[in-house]
Amino acid sequence: MAVEQGRSEVAEGSGGVLTRLGTWTENLSEQAYAYLLLTPAFVVLLLFAFWPLASAIRMSFFADVITGGSLGEFVGVQNYVQLLTNNNALAPAAFVDPSFETPILEQALFMTILFAVLSVTGETLLGFLYAMLMKAEYKGRRLVRLLIILPWAIPIVIQGMIFFLLFRPGYGLLTEPLQQLGIFSSLPLNTTFDSFVIVTVADIWKTSAFMALLILAGLESVNQDLYEVADVMGASRWQRFRYITFPLVFPVLMVAMLFRTMGALRVYGIIESTTVGCSTVPSMTCLVTQMMFGSSTLYGSAAAVSVLIAIVVGLFIMVYLLFIKQSNQSLGLA
Amino acid sequence: MSIDARDHEDAEVFDGSGDDADDEGDNKSRVARWADDWIKNPEKAYAVMLVFLGGVLLTTSLFPLYWLFNVAMAPPGQTDIPLFPATIDLSAFVQVFQQVPFARFMFNSLFYAFTVTVFVLLVGSLAGYAFGRLEFRGKTPLLFSLLVLSFFPPATLFIPLFRAFNQQVPMLGLFTLPVELYGTPGAVVTPLSAFTMPLAIFILTTFYGQIPDGLEEAARVEGTTRIGALFRVIMPLSAPGVATAGILTFITVYTEFFFSYLMTGNSAAEWAPVVDGVLAFQTQYTVRYDLQAAASLIAIVPVAILVVVAQDKIISGLTQGALKE
Repeated sequence: MAVEQGRSEVAEGSGGVLTRLGTWTENLSEQAYAYLLLTPAFVVLLLFAFWPLASAIRMSFFADVITGGSLGEFVGVQNYVQLLTNNNALAPAAFVDPSFETPILEQALFMTILFAVLSVTGETLLGFLYAMLMKAEYKGRRLVRLLIILPWAIPIVIQGMIFFLLFRPGYGLLTEPLQQLGIFSSLPLNTTFDSFVIVTVADIWKTSAFMALLILAGLESVNQDLYEVADVMGASRWQRFRYITFPLVFPVLMVAMLFRTMGALRVYGIIESTTVGCSTVPSMTCLVTQMMFGSSTLYGSAAAVSVLIAIVVGLFIMVYLLFIKQSNQSLGLA
Repeated sequence: MSIDARDHEDAEVFDGSGDDADDEGDNKSRVARWADDWIKNPEKAYAVMLVFLGGVLLTTSLFPLYWLFNVAMAPPGQTDIPLFPATIDLSAFVQVFQQVPFARFMFNSLFYAFTVTVFVLLVGSLAGYAFGRLEFRGKTPLLFSLLVLSFFPPATLFIPLFRAFNQQVPMLGLFTLPVELYGTPGAVVTPLSAFTMPLAIFILTTFYGQIPDGLEEAARVEGTTRIGALFRVIMPLSAPGVATAGILTFITVYTEFFFSYLMTGNSAAEWAPVVDGVLAFQTQYTVRYDLQAAASLIAIVPVAILVVVAQDKIISGLTQGALKE
């Protein structure tokens, strides 16, 4: 607080508080000064990130209390066992789809991971093309860049509205032709397979711009001299891509894919806003919200699912890190 | 995407690119001449392909927005929206504000984005400075804790926070939040600040780390205090990094769905974000899709302006800062 006051004083051009604060911090060791500067950020993080995190993990070991308010008794890993073994009794009504015969968590896990793999693959391919387009020099590049970035800045609910309208029978242009081709059913947003495809396309549409921005950052950091050397040596365009661009952009590409995988594994907003609630594409996060806001509030199980999402995300991160390490070695970058 | 739409729009784009690369020649041999030309000059072929590809990508990227506009033009209740609107009717864009307090919904969302951004930059700058320029014990573990934090999904943090805001569950086991907090900006701004802080701190750390030590030392020799040097020398120099972190935070919060949707009530007076504004045209008996589409387009305007204005900042900020080793 004192520091913030100091800042506003500076803005006004008066140095009273700043001077006093200055003399006070002057006597601190570098260590103490660093801690002082970190305090505001970590107080916020402690209250609104670290505490809820610890609390969620703790909560996942307590029984669901249907009435809400307080937690039930300590049950150990029972919530996890219940979720991982077949127990559709826990499933919120919207989730009990007769076509599914597997445990509820397995459906959600399968859907979420499939979604993440498909959308990140699509985003990477499209993002790479976008990045090349943003990099190349031509007239109207600013406009192209703007149009590429725009979908990324669109609120998720609007993205949902767009794809809802595109595929809603009567409104959507796409429903009928796709149905005639036999690809989609007449009510695509009410069918699991169709909605899954729509949600994935919607996600690719929105987030490939972000991927493109990160890849562009990688492309721009490639030393341009290398291309001149390659030109002198008579390298073809493909060789330039294969031996210069790709290996040098690869680390950035991996980081970008890691970011996006983490984002895709927590998918919720686009599903909630495009389809009929979360009922057609039950992702992991959907399961959490359904358990929280469904007919009964299942705190323990919801917390357990949310911890499981974090574990899945963690596993993916480890796979990426291992992969990055290995490929860097094979590319001779490590 | 749409097979129809793609075929159609591609055709247009292809014509356009054809005009650019057109040599004066009669129609019969044009294709053959192009082929010859391209084999001789592969660069030209690549350029044409780039334009063509660009056209495809941009139409798939923009078509959904165009469709939204089309739906907004259609009279209420009309289905079978034509590809081109028969008449230009912008009344839906006015009705949006008449039927629900849509301006207030927009204001709420912008308020959240703005407040979170200012707060995160203020607090995050100090932390970014400490991480980027100072040596202290526990630096690596603290940075690592931020990294770990940033990979936890919001759903994990949400349940305890929801209870803390709604059911008077003591935070840290020590104190409870005031009852009145739910349905006020506090219930959205605080968790979203914590949620966006790690990334902002990472970006700022990189930028502060890049400022040469000499500048700060010079200021100190001149007799400025430590804090004085931070505010007078370092912070102005890190302005590009602050701008990038700020823009990313703003866009993240404005587009965010989870906290802003679930932590507020659903009326404008309860500080509901633009999400609820768009859904407000959906009552139990009627749904005005034209108004929802118009409202959606209006809600895009602020971020569209931001992207227009800050386009170069976003690109250069990410290029120079976030990903530089």
